[in-house]
Amino acid sequence: MPRLLSDDQRDILAGFFEERFEISRKIFQDFDMFAFSRQAFLFRRQPFEIKWPEGAFVRCGLPFVRNVAGFLKPTTVFIQRFGREARRNVLELDLETITSLCTEGEISLPTLSESVDVPGYVMVKFKKHHLGTALALEGNRLLCRFPKAMRQALSRLTAR
Amino acid sequence: MQPFLKTLEEYRDLIPGFQELLEHLQKPLPVYFRINTLKTNLEKAKAFLKDEGVDFEETPIDEVVKVLYHDHQRPLLSYFLGYIYPQAISSCLPVLALDPKPGETVLDLCAAPGGKATYISQKMQDRGFLVANDRKRGRITSLLSNVKRLGITNTLVTQGRGEHLLLPYSFHKVLVDAPCSGQGKYRIDPNTGQVKHMVKGKTNLSAIQKALIKHAFDMLRPGGILVYSTCTLNVEENEEVIEFLLNKRRASLAPLDLPVEHEPGITSFKEKRYHEQIRLAGRFYPHKIDSVGFFVAKIVK
Repeated sequence: MPRLLSDDQRDILAGFFEERFEISRKIFQDFDMFAFSRQAFLFRRQPFEIKWPEGAFVRCGLPFVRNVAGFLKPTTVFIQRFGREARRNVLELDLETITSLCTEGEISLPTLSESVDVPGYVMVKFKKHHLGTALALEGNRLLCRFPKAMRQALSRLTAR
Repeated sequence: MQPFLKTLEEYRDLIPGFQELLEHLQKPLPVYFRINTLKTNLEKAKAFLKDEGVDFEETPIDEVVKVLYHDHQRPLLSYFLGYIYPQAISSCLPVLALDPKPGETVLDLCAAPGGKATYISQKMQDRGFLVANDRKRGRITSLLSNVKRLGITNTLVTQGRGEHLLLPYSFHKVLVDAPCSGQGKYRIDPNTGQVKHMVKGKTNLSAIQKALIKHAFDMLRPGGILVYSTCTLNVEENEEVIEFLLNKRRASLAPLDLPVEHEPGITSFKEKRYHEQIRLAGRFYPHKIDSVGFFVAKIVK
């Protein structure tokens, strides 16, 4: 069963988004946060106590962050929904570069370390659309962290 | 004659433009996209679809477009961004009849793969509380995937038999989009005369549908709204199920206010007579709406 996060635990997660992406903590104020497995979920706060139905529960809300080898990684679906709130570590790429990132899994961007804080997760944006996550590493390396199906689809796209 | 065509013949006098229907069933089902306004807005999504090479036209439902052309070999970024949900226009109608509002408590009892559940959440502006349930584990995967892809935060997904589901909540609104024979989706292959998209199986659908509607009604708050829908033309799975509920519970039908042409529910079929109120239900025929055939009834507790 999912576990409701305490105020301290909420503070750690909201603090991560504030520090890394300059996302205001205010965006989380209407949500409860639950943890299940290695993921945390945003669930719209209700005016009543949420009780899990016995034997029937599967999942609640939107997965927004997961623990990957001890590091916090924002989910693709969170970025797509709330990425517009980010003011930092957002990398805007053209379609050809995104296609290369998806096809090759890793690309080298000469100015990466000047654009974002390295190392760490960044949000990838195309025009006005927030796509998902990539991992920026030392040496101007950018690793694709899009979901597999999306990556396969994007790798078939070419600039129009 | 195939069973479906034989069944259709029984409705010859009840379906307006019957010959037109038979001709229509030889055409492929058109594709519609519903735009997910939780992640984008109509203007932005439509511009992006055009940019992706999709040709479409407007429909009577603002957030639904009818696709005239798109290259199926080319994946749509709009899909992966959760801007669109491919969904028959008629499949949106039960949600419009339910009219979910922000802040309400809503249950979608047979929710997978999530077309109607995610539309309910969209209409609720992702506020309030939605329980999306389905019986089959395999179908839950696609439901979860769609809830995630469309960026929804107000939904609790559960797996259980709808007719026995015990939830510690009572609901303002409940949707029962019941498992059905799917006759509304059937198409006739013009070359072979064979019926396509036929659902196989000998399950006693009518019994399941009656159990579902009764249990759904019991989970409603007094004054709550229940919408019952199927994608079949079969009277036994539609009007007869509503008749069953009217006989078992203090329920009444409410008129449908929908932007799409429809015919009234049937009150007399073969030797059977049904309650006059059932006229308030709606039959949406494929040739009239250029989509999957549907039945929708709105019931008040």
